[in-house]
Amino acid sequence: MSKPHFDREHHVKKATGIGDPQCFKGEAGPAKFKVGDKVRIKDLPDIFYSRTQVYTRGAPATVAELVYESPAAEDESWDNTDNPVWFYSVVFKQKDLWPDYPDTFANDTVETELPERWLEPL
Amino acid sequence: MAEKHKPAPMVDEVSEFEVLEIAVRELAIEKGLFTAEDHQHWTEYMHTLGPLPAARLVAKAWLDPEYKKLAVKDGVKASLDVGVDWVNSMPTKFGTPSDYCNLRVLEDTPKLKHVVVCTLCSCYPRPILGQSPEWYRTPNYRRRLVRWPRQVLAEFGLQLPEDVEVRVEDSNQKSRFIVLPVRPEGTEGWTEDQLAEIVTRDCLIGVAVPRPGKTVNDPRPVRPAINPYKH
Amino acid sequence: MTDINPDKLKLDGEMETRNMDDSPIELLEKIKHEGRVWDDLSEQYGVDNPDPPWRITLEATCDMLADGYWATFNICKPKDERNTEQESKNLDAVERRWEEDQLVSQHYTDVPFPESQLLALAHTLIRRGLLNEKDLASRMAEVDQRLNSA
Repeated sequence: MSKPHFDREHHVKKATGIGDPQCFKGEAGPAKFKVGDKVRIKDLPDIFYSRTQVYTRGAPATVAELVYESPAAEDESWDNTDNPVWFYSVVFKQKDLWPDYPDTFANDTVETELPERWLEPL
Repeated sequence: MAEKHKPAPMVDEVSEFEVLEIAVRELAIEKGLFTAEDHQHWTEYMHTLGPLPAARLVAKAWLDPEYKKLAVKDGVKASLDVGVDWVNSMPTKFGTPSDYCNLRVLEDTPKLKHVVVCTLCSCYPRPILGQSPEWYRTPNYRRRLVRWPRQVLAEFGLQLPEDVEVRVEDSNQKSRFIVLPVRPEGTEGWTEDQLAEIVTRDCLIGVAVPRPGKTVNDPRPVRPAINPYKH
Repeated sequence: MTDINPDKLKLDGEMETRNMDDSPIELLEKIKHEGRVWDDLSEQYGVDNPDPPWRITLEATCDMLADGYWATFNICKPKDERNTEQESKNLDAVERRWEEDQLVSQHYTDVPFPESQLLALAHTLIRRGLLNEKDLASRMAEVDQRLNSA
């Protein structure tokens, strides 16, 4: 029985000497969010692979930076690089993630990067 | 300088662990899991890595405001000035699934302190910081830092005032992170070399802050997680 | 805060039943109890290096075993020189790390790092059938003889 062959060469050709995620620059189209926008993290199903932490699901956050364009981890783990999206660095108030986080440290935050598909406007 | 001529001490004993490492590697190569050449190539590259370039990047940023702006805006470009090419230094010339080519330099201020973790696995900016320490890889650190950052930092000996915002950076996608700490008092007039010496690995991860005279990492707590680990 | 989706809990349960055999491995238990760790050796011989000389080599082995690393090198070769059978032999980096965490907490908690990483890697490879305990034992005897015969 012959095994299926997954050709990953396209990625090497594309990224060599340029870098990943740099090689996807300009491919995501216009960004839906800008710095300062309030967003909520969607609670999408992630049956096979995701890098969106469970603790962020459903929480409000603020866009801090548009960091790069890349396929989302959910696609790239299956070698699907057809749909690069914008990645945003978003900042959460600790209190919004963990309701019993002490009020004394109300300024404390968590920052992490997420692909556009996980964000909805708030 | 008689000491210079003394041969460096050596471990004159082969441990079972050393033997196990070689045996696992040889069998894996014979089974065709990878080739000896690729392994050697990669090992040689990894031996060149360590925290010094990142320490130098911070020292340069402390001395040169323009360079600091560049470092914060484009960490990959700023890395070139300390001898790290995120794209072409790597044997693959484009990164790997663990080492993507995006470095972000997180600038601390007197009112903002960054600390880095990867809650999902243990992503770490290896090209500019070398291998991650054991504690960084443990589930205990990865699970607890996001939820109880101040307690974890206190265990590392870092107690921060209430009015300082603690920002945990969870390294979960393609960026890798180093912290650019506040330049400590008592370093006025120091050279880049002097400054780089106090920027230890732990300062670059964010669990410590630089201090004059402090050039080594403290022994760090390594604790098992309380709940059994299941996936 | 939104409630946790009940389907997610169900999936977690399914993931748990996927757990592999977690019994101890005799050969590795023996090394765990009898092997001398770097902390002891370096103290006895007055060596400063905090890591054993094989740490980077071990790290490279883990990297090479990972899908991405393997694929990265393999795909650089012309198509007819590639070994496509390899596709099934790789060991994903995240899965290996998870297994390392689990095995260390279960069997190797008292072993310092990176000795614990090494035992966990050997354990993973044996229980996944990528290495065989007997082969490993005899290869270790061979390596031991080689290193100690100089």
